[in-house]
Amino acid sequence: MSQIDKEKYSQSISKLDSIFREISSNVTEISKWRCPYKNMSDRCTAKFGCRNQKRTDVVDDLYLCIGSDNLDYRSAWDS
Amino acid sequence: MPITNETLESELNNIENSQERDHIRKLWDHADILMQEISVNLIQGNNTAVDELTKQALDNGFDANTILDEGLIAGMAIVGIKFRDNLIFVPEVLVAARAMKAGMVYIEPILSASGIEPIGKVIMGTVKGDLHDIGKNLCIMMLRGAGFTVIDLGVDTSSEEFIEAVEEHNAEILGMSALLTTTMPNMGKTITSFEDIEMRDLVKIMVGGAPLSQEFADEMGADGFGKDAISCVDLAKQFVANEN
Repeated sequence: MSQIDKEKYSQSISKLDSIFREISSNVTEISKWRCPYKNMSDRCTAKFGCRNQKRTDVVDDLYLCIGSDNLDYRSAWDS
Repeated sequence: MPITNETLESELNNIENSQERDHIRKLWDHADILMQEISVNLIQGNNTAVDELTKQALDNGFDANTILDEGLIAGMAIVGIKFRDNLIFVPEVLVAARAMKAGMVYIEPILSASGIEPIGKVIMGTVKGDLHDIGKNLCIMMLRGAGFTVIDLGVDTSSEEFIEAVEEHNAEILGMSALLTTTMPNMGKTITSFEDIEMRDLVKIMVGGAPLSQEFADEMGADGFGKDAISCVDLAKQFVANEN
């Protein structure tokens, strides 16, 4: 089996960590105005119920999200 | 070698800032067509294609460093920028991370053969009665990126399932997540279950979730509280450093 250059690998992991840290920081900001379960096609990826799920509109097993990004989405989540 | 993959070129053109675009473009300066294909499929979250292409690349003699840098990580760099610019959102980032994992399956044995072992093993799950998993999934993405092996138990995980997983995988760290105030106490119950069977000293337990606080984590007897995915991975690294 081939080997990996440890020094290069360490630099790669460092770079990946920095990409993920930036993503994580952006999650905190973006989640203030958009539900994190809502994908780019406005489909809900949550495994739980939410009042913003339009259950008559399903694509690839995902409901359409009809939530407004201007309102707090968390109050619509089932608990 | 210039970028020949049209989809990758189009992805790069999404980057508005020309300086940043040029900087990112350099990631593929010497990248073979196959590496470009790996990047594109990772960006699109096509884990089956990333799986097949990574295997093909290794069979064709590409070294693991090249696949990692010019295929997988280069693709993830674009994912990060698209997310920052609101072109994609959290679900797409997580799908891309899953595609990255599909490629890493072939890199991990090479790491092991080169004497690079995972820095630790972590069991992760959302507690019983709770189906919210975004925070947990982001933590898992970051932990894997940092070199941890992560076993994801998913959502609605009972104390027994956490205990079984820690035993089965001989994990040093357990991470529990909860979003609901009604399910938060299940973290404490799980910790008590570990104490009851005298396994508490065998595992470091970290907890996280929007309604939690350091105070609550301390009260229930957790070893650490992560307020977000960054603190989760920092905490896990700290546990491992303290062990060694």
